[in-house]
Amino acid sequence: MSAHAAAVARHTPRHRSRAARRLQRFGSHTLIYGALLLWAFISLFPIYWTITTSFKVAVDVTQGHLVPWLDFEPKWRGWRALGLSPQMLTMSSPSRDEFLLRFGNSVVAAVGAAVVAVVIGSLAAYGLARFEYRFGPWRNKDISFFFLSQLILPPVVLALPFLILYKELVLLDTKLGLIMVYTLMVLPIVIWIMRDQFMAIPYELEQAAYVDGATTWGAFLRIVLPIALPGMTAAFILSVILCWNEYFFAALLTSTDAKTLPVMVASQTGSQGIDWWTMAALSTAAILPLVLIGIFLERYIVKGLTAGAIK
Amino acid sequence: MSTGSLSSPTVLAASRAVSRAARGRALILIASLLLAALCVTQVLHNLGVVGAGFADWRPIALAYLLWALALGRGLVLVRRERGHRALFLLPALLFTLAMVIFPTVFGLYIAATDWNLSSLTGVHFNVLGNFTTMLHDAFFWTALGNMVWYVLSVLAQYAIAFGLALLLNAEIRARKFFRVVFLLPFMLSPVAVSWMIGKSIMEYRFGPAATLARLLGWETPAFFATPWVARASIMAMDSWMWIPFVMVLLLAGLQALPHEVAESAKVDGANPWQAFWKITFPLMLPVSVTAVILRIIFELKLADIVINVTAGGPGGATDTVSSFIYREYRDRSNVGYGTMLAEFYLIIIIVFVSILLSVVSRWLRRVT
Amino acid sequence: MTTDNDHSPTATSLGRRDLLKGTAGIGAAAALGAGGALTTFARPAAADEESLRKALLKYPGVGQGTPGDAEWQKVGEMCLGATKASVKPGEFKGVELTFMGLNNQNLHNFLFRGFLKPWEAYTGAKITWIDLAQADYNPRLQQAIATGTVDFDVLEMGAPFEGDVCGKGLASPMPDWVAKQIDVDDLVNYLKPPVGTWGGKRFRVTIDGDCHTINYRTDVFSDAALAKAWKDEGHAGEWGVPRTWQKVNEVTKFLKGKTFKGKPVYGYLDQPKPWGGFCFYFVEDRATGYVKMPGDKIWLFEPDTMKPLVNNPGWVRAIQDIVDSLPYEPADQLNADPGTTAFQQFLAGTGSLLSWWGDIGQMANTSDSSVVGNVIGFDILPGSEELYNRKTGKWEKPAGGVNYAPNMAYLGWGIYVMARVDSDSKKHQAAWSAAAHLGGKDLSLWTVMYPSGFQVHRQSHFNIDEWLAAGYQKDYITGYLDSQRNSYNHPNFTIEPRIPGIFQYYSVAEDELTKVFARKITAQQGADNIAAAWEKLTDKIGREKQIALYKDSMGM
Repeated sequence: MSAHAAAVARHTPRHRSRAARRLQRFGSHTLIYGALLLWAFISLFPIYWTITTSFKVAVDVTQGHLVPWLDFEPKWRGWRALGLSPQMLTMSSPSRDEFLLRFGNSVVAAVGAAVVAVVIGSLAAYGLARFEYRFGPWRNKDISFFFLSQLILPPVVLALPFLILYKELVLLDTKLGLIMVYTLMVLPIVIWIMRDQFMAIPYELEQAAYVDGATTWGAFLRIVLPIALPGMTAAFILSVILCWNEYFFAALLTSTDAKTLPVMVASQTGSQGIDWWTMAALSTAAILPLVLIGIFLERYIVKGLTAGAIK
Repeated sequence: MSTGSLSSPTVLAASRAVSRAARGRALILIASLLLAALCVTQVLHNLGVVGAGFADWRPIALAYLLWALALGRGLVLVRRERGHRALFLLPALLFTLAMVIFPTVFGLYIAATDWNLSSLTGVHFNVLGNFTTMLHDAFFWTALGNMVWYVLSVLAQYAIAFGLALLLNAEIRARKFFRVVFLLPFMLSPVAVSWMIGKSIMEYRFGPAATLARLLGWETPAFFATPWVARASIMAMDSWMWIPFVMVLLLAGLQALPHEVAESAKVDGANPWQAFWKITFPLMLPVSVTAVILRIIFELKLADIVINVTAGGPGGATDTVSSFIYREYRDRSNVGYGTMLAEFYLIIIIVFVSILLSVVSRWLRRVT
Repeated sequence: MTTDNDHSPTATSLGRRDLLKGTAGIGAAAALGAGGALTTFARPAAADEESLRKALLKYPGVGQGTPGDAEWQKVGEMCLGATKASVKPGEFKGVELTFMGLNNQNLHNFLFRGFLKPWEAYTGAKITWIDLAQADYNPRLQQAIATGTVDFDVLEMGAPFEGDVCGKGLASPMPDWVAKQIDVDDLVNYLKPPVGTWGGKRFRVTIDGDCHTINYRTDVFSDAALAKAWKDEGHAGEWGVPRTWQKVNEVTKFLKGKTFKGKPVYGYLDQPKPWGGFCFYFVEDRATGYVKMPGDKIWLFEPDTMKPLVNNPGWVRAIQDIVDSLPYEPADQLNADPGTTAFQQFLAGTGSLLSWWGDIGQMANTSDSSVVGNVIGFDILPGSEELYNRKTGKWEKPAGGVNYAPNMAYLGWGIYVMARVDSDSKKHQAAWSAAAHLGGKDLSLWTVMYPSGFQVHRQSHFNIDEWLAAGYQKDYITGYLDSQRNSYNHPNFTIEPRIPGIFQYYSVAEDELTKVFARKITAQQGADNIAAAWEKLTDKIGREKQIALYKDSMGM
């Protein structure tokens, strides 16, 4: 009896603490999911607004209607202006041709620039993270800063220089030209992101590889690269998005063959007001490939197996 | 290659190394001379001195590419391992130099002139004139003052982004959903953000945000009519767009943190709050610095949203240096003065960022 | 998901096969894609002109939704008669033209694409398109000129930019046959020379006319309750549409705090937020009544010195009017640009007085962006009971009691051919033929009736019967056309100088004015700042040459 009582006595506080802990966990869960849902709402609402606006007509826009079917009847107005409504799909539409051409160019320019930037940027970042360079008085720190400083100048003042440079190089209105200028634009970001990533990887890994007879390049390609994948993916995604939405150089350097989407989005407004529905439809269509990239590449940001094993 | 020297007599190896180095040097020299000769010819051709030359500069760009290859090969021959190491850096460096050297030089030239594209009298040097105009330009200094506030908002963005990254890094359900959703705001183009949020959601009459504000008791929810509210609204939109950028960088950093770190904290009996400040946060400092620096630089270039939504108003309260330069350079074709402003701004930013970097790195060394 | 109740573009009354039958003889035309050929109407014979116009204005008919590419192509085909009379089929084979213009909500350049497709098919020329967003238009054009990257042969351009293009000799003067083909004598008076000409040569194919008119809510200004309140508060005169700026300000103050149909009602809507230079036109609207003297073309600069007039008492009073009115306008007005006032406020039912270009009237009736519909009335801009005489420096009572001075803001879009085609006679011919096609008299009837962004600009556009046949309501369209015609033909209409960089002047002014509207500086200080900035700008651009071009552009 007494032993039992003792057992109970011994058990009770533990019981209580377990319940308390459960309560606490419930509390922190509520907090965590509450925060997650709140931010998800903040992130999603404008996107939702954009998508629904593409199915609105003027009355629905200017009266702030929110929920399709409930307070407004969705119409294909915005999509029809792009030649992308079901009814228009079978017909010729110059705005659809325009949209598709620009869409394709945007894909080529953004992905092309992001690939080039991630490749040469990662190489440079690895070099800057691992080796000591010296160009006259310049050390690694200064070289990194040189790259970073390319990011600083407001692009608008590069308008005339780039126009003249591209005219001389016959790069005006070419996709190659766009890829080059976009690479330049995102390269500093890639270098800075990747430099941190490489610095976080223990040097012992490469030393071990050297002992096994690997060359500098061999160790980099076989050992370091797989570990750095999450960072490279993050850098790639960010680069694609930045290039995808780039407006200024696209408006400046392209005219017929290499034109991209953002200028078309901006064209939906002018002295004759704004076509909310078309701009919304264009924005919706423009965001889709990025969402796909986000969905498919996001998982590579998660720490790779190799990295987990090593750390 | 170098393994051969182990089995061969050292003299032979040394002489072979010398000839390798000599070959490398010769390669670099010849390639450089060829490139220089081509450039000079082309310049003379453009000036009309020489008949020979290309119609445009594209062949020179190709020659530069070949020269870069020769340089890389030569460096490997001359310096061996150090050459191999240089190869990591060279592509990015040569590419950047090639792309920016002309715009930089030409930009400095423009900044020194009074070039107005509509001008009927040509271009004149006007360094001093531009500079004194700038000193008395109330718009520029107002905008520069606003930038202080915009840059400070980056700290708030960083805090929120860190919180989100921690949440996403935790063991949660539907993690993939949340990760993609949290990234979405960054994907919308700035033009769309300006119109869909600034001019639609935050519209005084029909915008849902205005409706919400009315429900909360603000009777005249004009988001862009008074200076501080307008500035805060611009900051909110800008933050909404850019928080995902910071968040992804921090998340990638968190993912790279060793597991043992978290576990050792648990063993120490530290509560999550202490564990974060004592362990996670210090380890995340390098990534944080990069994220914040990149973000500050982007913040300093903030323009699109301001141009579209407020055009700098009311009374210059939301104006940014970039949006003001945009008006000078594009709306007024005042390219000489506009470039001057930008170069001056560039210097301010470079000084500011280098001070920031050196302070932070000193601080980092003390913390870790 | 439901589709709109608009007519689908294919649901036209004529079958495609019928259309093609008539054109079987012309190989090029038969190669048309979606566009058919209405050959019955395509003959240039004068007798057919009437039936062509009749067919045009019913196509697709007002209230049948916004027309699209299929309609544009057919309209282009229907109006090809003049081209067929002057060009042999396939004559321009091998010619490639580049056309630079706006993409404004998928109009402008997209419209031209549709109109020119049949022209391309017939003549054999090929056109490539450069579409610019409106915000990029001015910088792109200026930068192309400055860096020698002019890569277009035909250009859609607003008259204010003529100084930068024609004034610098970059445009090709119009051949006589084009002037004849597009019947330049049919243009309304204010668009005749000097507008469109430089040094006595004609450059512009006019496709648009511009002027600001006052748009008002007929229901608000005929409301009995408001009329009673107006009397009760002791205001002079009957409740009605204000015809002077003094009254406009009075009405605006009166309406603050009142309700109409259960909602707050507002008076005049100002546009204090910069809009790439365009906002300055609205300041001009308020100022011209005060400063534009009958029989005197001068209102913005002194002609002999280019001294700005913008800080004289008349202008300052107009600026002060805006400052005084703003507290009585909607709470967000300080951040309103012309896009906001027109489309988010006025067409959506906020505000009862708005000065704007005429297309807002057209949009209220034919486009999907309007909400208010048929409660909009039109008139020429208000005038003033007092006029500032710049010569005597005194305020005067104008002859007739009220000084009206309608503002022809922007002078409309035109098609220009660049001088770079001059060296190649075939290309020159082709470029001008394309421009003439777009500037055709019959085609313009369609563009001014249907959403295109273009307004009435020919005398032949004022035939009310044609508008009624298209399906417009009589009262509405009469009021609309009268407001346009009375502005265009007003003896005291106001024309802006088309000097190089005119939008730079406007843009600087907008920037300075934001400080005035935010009450950081006084109206006089703001106006003085503008004048100082303008003087500086004139010096930068080159005062002597600017004066010469100014006089040329004003026809002095």
